[in-house]
Amino acid sequence: MIRAAGFPEAAVRARARGGPAAVFPDAEGYGSAVFGAVAADDLDDIRIVPPVFVPHRLEKMYELGREPIYRDVELARPVGGFDSPVPVFVCAFGSTQVGSGLGVAVSEQAGRLGVPMVIGENVVPMHGYGRVDAVADGLLARIRAYGRSAPDGLGGVVVQQSTEDADAEVWNLVYSDPDATRLLDSGRLAFELKVGQGAKPGLGGMTVLTPAAAAAVADRYAVDDSLGELVLRSSSPGTFTEEILRQQIRLMRNNYPRARVWVKLHPGRDIARAVAVAWSAGADAVTVDGAEGGTGWAPSVFLDHVGLPLAECLSRIGKPDGDLLVSGRIWEGARALKCLARGATAVGLGRAALVAAAEDPADGLVRLVDCLALELRLLLSALGKYTPDTLTPDDLWSPTVDQL
Amino acid sequence: MTDTLTTLPPGTREHLLSPVTRAALRVQHAITTGARDYLGAHGFQELTPPLIGPVTDPGIRGSKQVDVDYYGHRYKLMTSVILYKQASLLAFDKIFYVAPNVRLEPLETADTGRHLAEFTQIDVEVRDAPREQVLELLQGLVRHIVTHVLRERRAELDFLGRDPAAFDALLSTEFERMTHRAAVALLRGLAHGQSSDAEIDWAGEKLISEQTDRPFFIVDYPKGSRGFTDGESSAEPGVLRNFDLIAPAGFGELASGGERTHEYRRLIERMRETGENPAKYAWYLDLARDGLPASAGFGLGLERLTRYLCGLDFVWQANAYPKLPGIASP
Repeated sequence: MIRAAGFPEAAVRARARGGPAAVFPDAEGYGSAVFGAVAADDLDDIRIVPPVFVPHRLEKMYELGREPIYRDVELARPVGGFDSPVPVFVCAFGSTQVGSGLGVAVSEQAGRLGVPMVIGENVVPMHGYGRVDAVADGLLARIRAYGRSAPDGLGGVVVQQSTEDADAEVWNLVYSDPDATRLLDSGRLAFELKVGQGAKPGLGGMTVLTPAAAAAVADRYAVDDSLGELVLRSSSPGTFTEEILRQQIRLMRNNYPRARVWVKLHPGRDIARAVAVAWSAGADAVTVDGAEGGTGWAPSVFLDHVGLPLAECLSRIGKPDGDLLVSGRIWEGARALKCLARGATAVGLGRAALVAAAEDPADGLVRLVDCLALELRLLLSALGKYTPDTLTPDDLWSPTVDQL
Repeated sequence: MTDTLTTLPPGTREHLLSPVTRAALRVQHAITTGARDYLGAHGFQELTPPLIGPVTDPGIRGSKQVDVDYYGHRYKLMTSVILYKQASLLAFDKIFYVAPNVRLEPLETADTGRHLAEFTQIDVEVRDAPREQVLELLQGLVRHIVTHVLRERRAELDFLGRDPAAFDALLSTEFERMTHRAAVALLRGLAHGQSSDAEIDWAGEKLISEQTDRPFFIVDYPKGSRGFTDGESSAEPGVLRNFDLIAPAGFGELASGGERTHEYRRLIERMRETGENPAKYAWYLDLARDGLPASAGFGLGLERLTRYLCGLDFVWQANAYPKLPGIASP
């Protein structure tokens, strides 16, 4: 047997045995695993650095007439046109098997928390809407679950659409649906244009299907049977130029004047220009999904090698000119605070929300967000600050970057 | 403001037995007769409209299309026949349809008095025509229809209390052209917060219509307010070579039209700018790749024109089986 010490021999052998299926994670895990960056990144290396002198605390003491403590931190703030009790939103997860099994549980809990929630692309084309024939985890079931549990005036539902979803007219469907009326009337419906995602920048959505399920959608999606017994179904990434992005946002504002407009971008090298175009065209929020972002399925080479890390995206964007939402391996207070201090309005929970809901479909996500909120209060208070909008890069120190 | 309850149609029997309904439908018959006379005399070929197709007009401001299971293929009921109008110019230079359309409009349009989910358009298209030519054609068509109705259906108008003097300005003066930019400025001057890069909103359309006693055109809508078939100006990028015909006295939009996007590469770009997936327009793009004629045209709303000529409060009064957005009715 030939040995090649120090060379990725095992990986080469896996490809030699399995062919193109080896370009992806093991399909056995599809439906029960989520993927994404695992290694520490630049955000992890940054430290949160409370000062000795705390003038904001003195201001807060004037207001309270006593020494402020962490419970005096106010986390509520507008997020992408909605009022949220914490600077947190729930990221899109759509038609992949792992996401769809938990869609309603996550929706109910996100609603109870009153945090904005994004419903991912391809839910309608793959699972149906659920108006005429009830679909257990369809788009309508998720909207209803959220609407039932959301407190008045808080949160909002964000419905994503990608290029192929336009065929199913997802936004038109929701905008004219009686079940969305309560959210629409209270200004709590948004539509998100999905330009890309962090786990596979430059690719469209991907799911793995049985051959029978793939045959049913073959007229709408690219299907690829090189995975062996299962079939890869791909959306197109969609073609965007500055003018195409600008005009799509304007058309969303034109066609859905009562809905908010969100845009989700992958961590492209021109991210600063892309967010500027989106804001200037009138987007209420732009989400930047860092390369650390999770996914239900992606080729390994994209997970390991493609896209800017979230920290670098934040550096390139600098001081934001609009609501900047970020996601990518966020689950606790420290990473959230670092993003907020570097300009983000709110942070998104993707894999964390799924895992928490899987741990306890009734309360797991609520508890996870409670933990994150408590950590944010403790950290903000330690920095001598009492609202997220007062955070600045001065609250952070990086061993590798001179100027954050 | 009118009470919402009174804005809804009564039951089918009561509606059909109403003398108002019958008078309005007689006027409507005269409108289609007059339109066919005028267009026929000007060399137009009438075609029967397709009802279903693999795609239809997506430029319908947030309305949902109706899906049809066509032997396992997802087809659409026509929201407008625009794509077929352009294709039909391969056979004839001047064409028109009297075409039924179905659009599941947003629920908020149920009480505008101007929206039906199922309605009919007089849909006209002219090969190699610039916008100005179809503006003049539309003005001539509307004047002919009004003259014809005043002559043939005077008794019905009298019964409905419609004063023929309401059409004096329409018949005697040129329809003014107002740019979208000027319309936005006018509305803002009236304390209406109209967006400068969007369609004139429902309330703004009614308001601007109330400012005048004669029809006028709004031209040059901004890109981002209309679908991909509306042609973009080559001289002024970002401005569309399109128009709306607005009736006076609060009746609002009667017709929409303009020069069309017809070149293959521009169609691809404009489809993406309007969020469309070019793949589903395969039959249309195949025609465009081999060459679609340049053209301009318009769709004139039959029920809306009937409402205006009759002076009716609501557009549903001009339809025998009215379907208001969100309301299930026969």
